[in-house]
Amino acid sequence: MDMAVESPSSLANGDSSAVSTATTPAAAAAAASPPSSRMLQLAESLKLEHQFLRVPLEHFKKTIRAHHRCAEKEVSAVLSSVAEAADRSDAMSREAAVNHLSSLVSRLQGLKRKLEEGSRAENLQAQRCRARLDHLDSIDVENLTEWSNTRLKRILVDYMLRMSYYDAAKKLAETSNIQDLVDIEVFLEAKKVIDSLQNKEVGPGLAWCAENKSRLKKSKSKLEFQLRLQEFIELVRADNNLRAIQYARKYLAPWGATYMKELQRVMATLAFRSNTECPSYKVLFEPMQWDYLVEQFKQEFCRLFGMTLEPLLNIYLQAGLSALKTPFCFEEGCTKEDPLSQEGFRKLAAPLPFSKQHHSKLVCYITKELMDTENPPLVLPNGYVYSTKALEEMASKNDGRVTCPRTGETFNFSELVKAYIS
Amino acid sequence: MELNTIKDAFDRVAKKQKLSCSKTQEVIDEVGREIEEAMAKLQSTDNGLGCDLKSILLELKTKLNEMAPMNQLEGSQRELNIGLVKYAKILEKCLNPDISKAYRNVDSDIHIVNQIIASHFYRQGLFDLGDCFVSEANEPDATALKSPFLEMYGILEAMRSRNLEPALNWASKQSERLLENGSSLELKLHQLQFVEMLQKGSQNEALKYARTYLAPFASVHKVEIQKLMACLLWAGRLNQSPYAEFMSPTHWERLAEELTQQFCSLLGQSYESPLSVAIAAGIQGLPTLLKLASVMAAKQQEWQAMKQLPVPVDLGREFQFHSIFVCPVLREQGSDENPPMLMPCGHVLSKQSIVKLSKSSTRPFKCPYCPLEATVGQCRQLHF
Repeated sequence: MDMAVESPSSLANGDSSAVSTATTPAAAAAAASPPSSRMLQLAESLKLEHQFLRVPLEHFKKTIRAHHRCAEKEVSAVLSSVAEAADRSDAMSREAAVNHLSSLVSRLQGLKRKLEEGSRAENLQAQRCRARLDHLDSIDVENLTEWSNTRLKRILVDYMLRMSYYDAAKKLAETSNIQDLVDIEVFLEAKKVIDSLQNKEVGPGLAWCAENKSRLKKSKSKLEFQLRLQEFIELVRADNNLRAIQYARKYLAPWGATYMKELQRVMATLAFRSNTECPSYKVLFEPMQWDYLVEQFKQEFCRLFGMTLEPLLNIYLQAGLSALKTPFCFEEGCTKEDPLSQEGFRKLAAPLPFSKQHHSKLVCYITKELMDTENPPLVLPNGYVYSTKALEEMASKNDGRVTCPRTGETFNFSELVKAYIS
Repeated sequence: MELNTIKDAFDRVAKKQKLSCSKTQEVIDEVGREIEEAMAKLQSTDNGLGCDLKSILLELKTKLNEMAPMNQLEGSQRELNIGLVKYAKILEKCLNPDISKAYRNVDSDIHIVNQIIASHFYRQGLFDLGDCFVSEANEPDATALKSPFLEMYGILEAMRSRNLEPALNWASKQSERLLENGSSLELKLHQLQFVEMLQKGSQNEALKYARTYLAPFASVHKVEIQKLMACLLWAGRLNQSPYAEFMSPTHWERLAEELTQQFCSLLGQSYESPLSVAIAAGIQGLPTLLKLASVMAAKQQEWQAMKQLPVPVDLGREFQFHSIFVCPVLREQGSDENPPMLMPCGHVLSKQSIVKLSKSSTRPFKCPYCPLEATVGQCRQLHF
């Protein structure tokens, strides 16, 4: 920095961009916003849509797996049943054998029907995956407003589903006809578990863990352990100590290798009981433990489906507020069009960093339009600056005179001078 | 982004899924056929000897074993799985798999967010949805914006069915505040009403209307009113007059838009939904923030606690709400202590850099951007 100030001439030669904006405004304006940069920006924004494609894929995979497992189970059962019949055929009448075989045939037919239904479900899900790809493909400079509106709706539905506002989520999806673009079905699966946990039941939660056992194991999830701990605590609360010990032997002991500390702590509640005042055990009996389990479940659920752990709305809102936050947003005359002029947004932005600018960006006080080489800033003799457009319009209506809206002084248009801002 | 690569990968998945489905059905059919064949054999043998029964069942068992239906099922499934894994990998490669990397983990107040969303729904005219959301989220205080926007959408609805009554009522009540805003909305509404009357051919009524409602605006909008008065000559056949332009339906649309703008402004609200604006800014800004986060993570630098972002996040001009002056020499944002100064040549620098360049207040110095010289005294402070 200092060097640049010491030798301004070298700067004049070196910083060609600064010179060109000052000397050849037309060329700079042409390069300001070429359409290709707009397309680039759209492509960048599409890269943020991983969850949008990933969630229906995970759902699709899950359905496929379930159907495959079902087919495997049934066919293998039929095979072993045939083998078994062959082994004990000595003691079997012909009629019994025929009956046995025909029961197997109808079992296979049942499986076939089930799989046919399953394949319809799979096709629907494949369609949904494709619909989302097509939706991403449909973004264009021409339909951008509409596309962005839909995106905002998708983000809002995602928020409402994560917050368990299911009715509002459904309503928004239905009225805007974007059911294929949001994950209501996926979240309804979560709802069952969340509702049960809120009713202090672990059953559906454990069933969900069993259903997704291998994947939860891969991600080293401790959700099942936590659910088991809670079930144990409930037994201790009910003073059902013998059963609690049995339960611990069966369901908690296997986790000992990984979570010994927590296991020991929970086991100690047998000694302290539910009415303990000892803070480190008292907390285990508090109802908020269930809220904590709900949160844990939500996180595991999101992870399993490849969703961000935070609602999309929070992520985008935070990024937007950081990018918009300037010291001027908190001044008194802040324009209403700036979201940060509002109390709620200001509070949300409080812990966020200010944005940074490398180049001047000037907005005309009168027209609120950007002042650039096309609409350059003009300086009034009193030092106030407005856009050429605004001042020209004012002058044309008032016989060549302009009035400064902030000081009330009037000048001749000929007294104004151009300012070059790089 | 390679959307076509992604699509191709998905097409392969879909094809394999169909194949796997039909393969499974085939395997099941084959097993079924074998069993049915064995059944037919059992039924056709008349004597029903034990050894026959046994041999038939054993034969069936061997046949099924040879067919190895389990392997067949697994094989087609494996094919499908490979396709699925590949597709997931392509998604991960082409798209950003975790957009929460730049998220600052702060406790965001749920009530504030919910209130913002409720206001967003109400100001979009989605009243049912807003009510549904408010009751489900249990935010009874979030309905503050409902009744004013109900009024606004009522006015706009009436305008759509060519009824200006509610709009005129509102405008006359807000007459003074509209003028303060520099808006001539009230006159424009009266003008529209006047033209409507003329179109229906009722010259007298229109004249009376003009005397009552247009006359008060005559001093300020002389030219406009003169034109309107000339319209009286063409009552009933305005479309053949030089003033046919007054009848254009675009007037209605433009006026509805202006009314929305003024209504929001008088409510102390923005014209665009602030939620839409903030989210749209987020979508433009997030890619830069994610890049920043990954660079900072690679350098093991902490940016979660930074008071200012280390790099600029470029947003479109629609998000430019404030004049920001950055001194081109110091590369620092201007402030009250270091305001922008205009040099006689028209270039603008910050006060600090001018003081540094000049070294003394009387000696002339050269502008860093052009050959002209200036003294500190010739530089003037600017207000944007």
